[in-house]
Amino acid sequence: GLVKTLQPGAQSGKLSISINCLPLISVSSRPLPDVAIIYPQDPVLRMGSNLTASCWVHPDLGVHASSLFWTLNGQQLPSSFYRVLSPTNLSVTLAGLNASRQTSGDNLVCHNHKGHILAGSCLYVGMPPQKPVNLTCWSRNTKDLTCSWAPGGKGETNISTQYRLKYKLRWYGTEKQCEDYTHTQPYSCSITQDLHLFTPYEIWVEASNQLGRATSDVITLDILDVVTTDPPSGVTVSRVGQLEDQLSVRWEAPPALKDFLFQAKYQIRYRLEDSQDWKVMDDVGNQTSCRLAGLRPGTVYFVQVRCNPVGIYGSRKAGIWSEWSHPTAASTPHSERLMSCDSKSSGDSNSTLRRELKQFFGWVRKHAYGCSSMSMKLYDQWRVLMQKSHKARNQVGKHR
Amino acid sequence: MLLAVAMATAVDPSHDLASERSSIESTYELTKYLEYQLKEIKDVYLTYLGPPFNEKDFSPPRPNSTALTLPSAATRLELWHGLENQARLAQNQKAYSVLLAAVRELASSTLCPSLKTSLLHFCTGLDGLLGSISALMTTLGYTLPPQSANMRTNAGELKVEGFWILRELQSWLWRSAKDFNRLKRRLRG
Repeated sequence: GLVKTLQPGAQSGKLSISINCLPLISVSSRPLPDVAIIYPQDPVLRMGSNLTASCWVHPDLGVHASSLFWTLNGQQLPSSFYRVLSPTNLSVTLAGLNASRQTSGDNLVCHNHKGHILAGSCLYVGMPPQKPVNLTCWSRNTKDLTCSWAPGGKGETNISTQYRLKYKLRWYGTEKQCEDYTHTQPYSCSITQDLHLFTPYEIWVEASNQLGRATSDVITLDILDVVTTDPPSGVTVSRVGQLEDQLSVRWEAPPALKDFLFQAKYQIRYRLEDSQDWKVMDDVGNQTSCRLAGLRPGTVYFVQVRCNPVGIYGSRKAGIWSEWSHPTAASTPHSERLMSCDSKSSGDSNSTLRRELKQFFGWVRKHAYGCSSMSMKLYDQWRVLMQKSHKARNQVGKHR
Repeated sequence: MLLAVAMATAVDPSHDLASERSSIESTYELTKYLEYQLKEIKDVYLTYLGPPFNEKDFSPPRPNSTALTLPSAATRLELWHGLENQARLAQNQKAYSVLLAAVRELASSTLCPSLKTSLLHFCTGLDGLLGSISALMTTLGYTLPPQSANMRTNAGELKVEGFWILRELQSWLWRSAKDFNRLKRRLRG
């Protein structure tokens, strides 16, 4: 390895600088004076503000301030921003600072003419927090109280901002703080101990960072008003005999219901396999089975069920809907009738019927003799004819 | 009395060494696993530090505080080859005891919660490695070297230290695997 000695004239000891291409060189074993320092060290600044920083180099280094340069997050700053304050001091002025690129701080570095790092400083640029918003809370089976919120402003998330969920029982004074902040969901906290029913809670969020603080509006709630439960379990979807337009859905009430509920109400939603549009069945009531009708034959449907705890301990209020159960799929039986290979392009069943009728009437006009010969038998014969010719057409298509 | 003790230890040396060898083998496996884990954490950590730390070929000067207390993994080949078992283990033990304390400090000063959790999780693995090495040394009758503390500095220097701690840790894990391989072979003979 190399240890550079200084220019002639250096008095006290050697100052060593390690060189970028050989990282594992040992540096002098005696404690050394700082080679260079940036002022200010690790400042916290508001977005849009200006900053003038200076890099002071030790005179023994034998380096002139005009030979230095600055980088910010690895990008060299234009020399028009620099000012030589003295032979050992170079400043840089940054105007209208953007919010920090990473929460660990923006890296402002002072380099010598060869590009070696002499000193660094971390800039923390952000905004003071604004009132946290969208504070909502829910209780899972009356066993806990979980709240979530959102930051009120931009820029507060660029620097380290703490959010503290606080609460108190309205009629019993002492303010407490939520401890269990889940890292999986940011801006969320769970209160798991000492929950009181039948009494109102006051809940709010305090946000603070090095630039300021803010408090959300206070919400008041009774735990029994915000109860939710687990989704129904054991959801099964099955065919109804040979019926090609129906499916039967069955499920079990979530087990926690029997602890505190008289009733639950359910909602079902279903969609076609390759569609994003859900159809919701609202009036399922408190049964644990339901039949879906008006479905398309030979089609796969995805079905989900969710539950709302109603009438908790006799109250008339509804609770909060649970998550949807895992999707379950089933298919309706294929139709006995004509199976079109173009099933995707046949849109709504009504227009298919109309088209078919149109074709039938056209054929009748040509081949039947008056309306007296019109009958279901004729219609069926025509259908068989259509199926044969359709099959033939498709065979041709396959061998093209 | 001494003779009796000497005889007792001489009676079944092969059995003791077999269990030692298997413990070295599992320590070896642990270093390989930690080496793999470290690669992933290092990338996330360097991204968290921001450019230029996560740029290819970036290399800041090695900070004084780390240089003072952390032995470098880099060593001349003939020196490494000739290391006695005790010295070999002692160097590893010293390195990981300093590195573990350093990574713990790194974790505590990390502002990103998920990264902090990952680093602390990694520390439990590192702690396990240190424990394995110390236990091995005790079983083989070697004394453990004393601990030493690290100094804290400002945010900019903290970033450079963090960079170097992870770099040295990477070198050490890579070297330790070879150390344990060598130890296993030497204990067989």
